[in-house]
Amino acid sequence: MRPILLSGHERALTQVKYNADGDIIFSVSKDHVVCAWFSHNGERLGTYHGHVGALWTVDVDPTSTLLATGGADNTIRLWEVRTGKQLKSWEFGTAIKRVEFSPDGRQLLGITEKRQGHLSTIFVYEINPDPSAEQTDEQSLRIVCDEAKATVAGFSYGAKYIISGHEDGTVCQWDAKSGEFLDSVQAHEADMQVTDLQWAPDRTYFITASKDKTAKLMSTNDLEILKTYTTDTPLNSAAITPVKDFVILGGGQAAMDVTTTSARQGKFEARFYHKIFMEEIGRVRGHFGPLNYVAVHPKGTGYCSGGEDGYVRVHHFDKPYFDFMYEVEREQQANL
Amino acid sequence: MSRVAGRTDWAEEEDEDSLQLPQTQITKNKDGTETIVTFSIREDGKKVKTTRRIKKTTIKQVVDPRVAERKQWEKFGQEKGKPTGPQTDTTSIAENIVFRPVANWKASAEDKSETEKKKANLKDAKIKCRICSGDHWTTKCPFKDTMAPEGGDAAAPIDDAPEAAGGLGAGGSSYVPPHLRGRAGAGEKMGGKFERDDLATLRVTNVSEFAEEGDLREMFSRFGHVTRVFLAKDRETGRAKGFAFVSYADRDDAAKACEKMDGYGFGHLILRVEFAKKAT
Repeated sequence: MRPILLSGHERALTQVKYNADGDIIFSVSKDHVVCAWFSHNGERLGTYHGHVGALWTVDVDPTSTLLATGGADNTIRLWEVRTGKQLKSWEFGTAIKRVEFSPDGRQLLGITEKRQGHLSTIFVYEINPDPSAEQTDEQSLRIVCDEAKATVAGFSYGAKYIISGHEDGTVCQWDAKSGEFLDSVQAHEADMQVTDLQWAPDRTYFITASKDKTAKLMSTNDLEILKTYTTDTPLNSAAITPVKDFVILGGGQAAMDVTTTSARQGKFEARFYHKIFMEEIGRVRGHFGPLNYVAVHPKGTGYCSGGEDGYVRVHHFDKPYFDFMYEVEREQQANL
Repeated sequence: MSRVAGRTDWAEEEDEDSLQLPQTQITKNKDGTETIVTFSIREDGKKVKTTRRIKKTTIKQVVDPRVAERKQWEKFGQEKGKPTGPQTDTTSIAENIVFRPVANWKASAEDKSETEKKKANLKDAKIKCRICSGDHWTTKCPFKDTMAPEGGDAAAPIDDAPEAAGGLGAGGSSYVPPHLRGRAGAGEKMGGKFERDDLATLRVTNVSEFAEEGDLREMFSRFGHVTRVFLAKDRETGRAKGFAFVSYADRDDAAKACEKMDGYGFGHLILRVEFAKKAT
């Protein structure tokens, strides 16, 4: 496996994302620029300019026509993927920590930071998927998180629920139509921030990563904790791999403590766990800073990770990855 | 390009060289490979013939039409106007990573790190005593009290040099001020401790290289209480270097042993025993 190193950013990566077909990777970093890359060879398709602050988040709609980004300049911007043209900018009182499109791409969710007297809010915009159309300024939904600020959120299958992860380690379920609070679970240790929430391909379950060094697989409907993956380092990101039943966890010593640790001690590795057996099956080294985000190719053929070191590393899995099976899995396959 | 006779322009010369180079030959082999022979001139002016055998395989890849269409998109932003294909300033290939998932990864990784640790320990184990060349630290040397640091030759571990080296102190390392150098008479500067040990220490040479410390102790303890036996060993092979020191609690015992053991046959060799010379 020869990783492709993407060095288009000058500062720490904050999020990387594949589009629905997996041929383009979008990356955002603290250097204000959004980059689009072809995943198969690492060629840069282009850059999106306009933001004037560190970027925290990016998401692309299912048809790869619209791109949403949010960052510390208190704006969410909508871009045309193909040309790099900015279509819309929404202004907020505080920084944007997360954006995500609904599965049909007609809704866009955003989370604002809690600061300067503003409470953290989750809001939803209706999106017109036509790039030439005028986008609305009106929020179709507002959820104010007055207890603990939301850090991550996403739409469930069919945009039925909004699931959010919070600063205090809880995971909440909201009705995506009415904004009504439905359920809440203390999934992670108290006061340990939920750092990432990524969906399974069908969005009936998801994985959360937390600073409490664990990642949890949870069901969308009743927020039941299905699996727990325990590591020895604070986690920044977790992803579920299609095709093979694995999860990839990324993390490492917090960025501010990095200078005091060597690369080896810092545990800057992507960790692969078996999704069902919750056992670690391998690690991929390479970054020399914590991994801030890991994203899996939607077809399960590879993954990419964005690190605090400013690099995106794109990996295409090779044969041993696909061949690997536990003894019981092999037996089961033989019996079929 | 026409050439003017007698012209010695450097630019022209280059052309001349390239004109002399034979054409590239491409031959199709029976097994479906191609052999390409090219000629070029190296920087040092030598002609180089390069023969390459290439096998061409067509890999068919089914690509989603949307993906195929996106591949034709024009670049924008900072990449605007750049040619297709990855640019070297933003994209590079990292070194190969072997990723092989294994069940129970943690246990296997720990095993590996343990063996690595042992290896590292072995590497660090290159310890050499400056006094007797044994594989221990100089400060741990059993003879640090009776011997000065070795000059280099293992057969002559007792070094008389400090005296000659301008009286620059015993042990050869500590500075002795000039007004004290005169006083550095025999026996005085190292104190009584040395005296005592030296007096009852035997130097045994011509020891078989297969000898063990235990053997020596057994042999020499017949004559009195042996306080210590030191057998110099090579740190790499672990074999005896051919000399040893035996200390007695009592000098009379030492004298007796010296007398009896000198010329004693041990192994296939005849031992030579004498009183160890003073370090100073």
